[in-house]
Amino acid sequence: MEKVQIPTVAQPKPLQLNDTRVFVVNKDNYEEFVKEFTEAYGELAFVALSMKDYQNLALNIADIKRYLEQQKEIIIYYEKAVTETPKEKEDD
Amino acid sequence: MIKLYGAIALIAILGGVGYGAKYYYDTTQNTIAQLRDNNAKLEVAVDTAQNSVETLQGDMAKLATLNKGLQQDLQKAEAYGDELRSKLSKLDLVVEALKNSKSLEGKMNGTTAKLWRDFMGDTGGNSERPLPNWLLESPNGAGSESSNQSGKGADTDSSTTEATPTE
Repeated sequence: MEKVQIPTVAQPKPLQLNDTRVFVVNKDNYEEFVKEFTEAYGELAFVALSMKDYQNLALNIADIKRYLEQQKEIIIYYEKAVTETPKEKEDD
Repeated sequence: MIKLYGAIALIAILGGVGYGAKYYYDTTQNTIAQLRDNNAKLEVAVDTAQNSVETLQGDMAKLATLNKGLQQDLQKAEAYGDELRSKLSKLDLVVEALKNSKSLEGKMNGTTAKLWRDFMGDTGGNSERPLPNWLLESPNGAGSESSNQSGKGADTDSSTTEATPTE
């Protein structure tokens, strides 16, 4: 039986991610945070997240990571399925 | 005269028989040739069918093995999320933040830095990129169990958006 040959394609460009910094601020270290933050970044302008939202963000990213890894495994599965020769045939 | 007619009739009969025999012989030979031809075709068809069956069986065995491996890999991919959910369910981040904000901050930044490097490594990029200085100086940042300790300090200030190029 003639098998259809499906060429595999190159992977997309790898991710190049930037580091991100989180500050944990409470009522006791707020003044210290304002001082350090202003010294480091010049202006006092920041995005604040509640702990609950931070947790949600972390869980969302974890789910994206899970999806990305599973998608990658499925692609590897298909690549192997169309490229590798069965062992029985190699022995012939 | 009768003998002559008899001889003609005998020749006609013998000719008829001879022609019949010749016709029978030719027809039989043609049939044998046709059957031999069909047999050869059938042998080729059987070989093709046998090869197809063997190919399909080989493919099925290969796909079964690949599928088993895929299911295991898909399950492995669930591990990070499960671990994170488990950790978060045991921790009260508000209490942790009030108790020791710097420690929590270091853990969060360390884990996040490791996560970004995992993403880069998983997609074929550089997962060994050095950690930024501010993280190394942070308590529980570079030194936490969940952070990447492989890199030394580098100037990857979070205020910039320039990514380190990969090889």
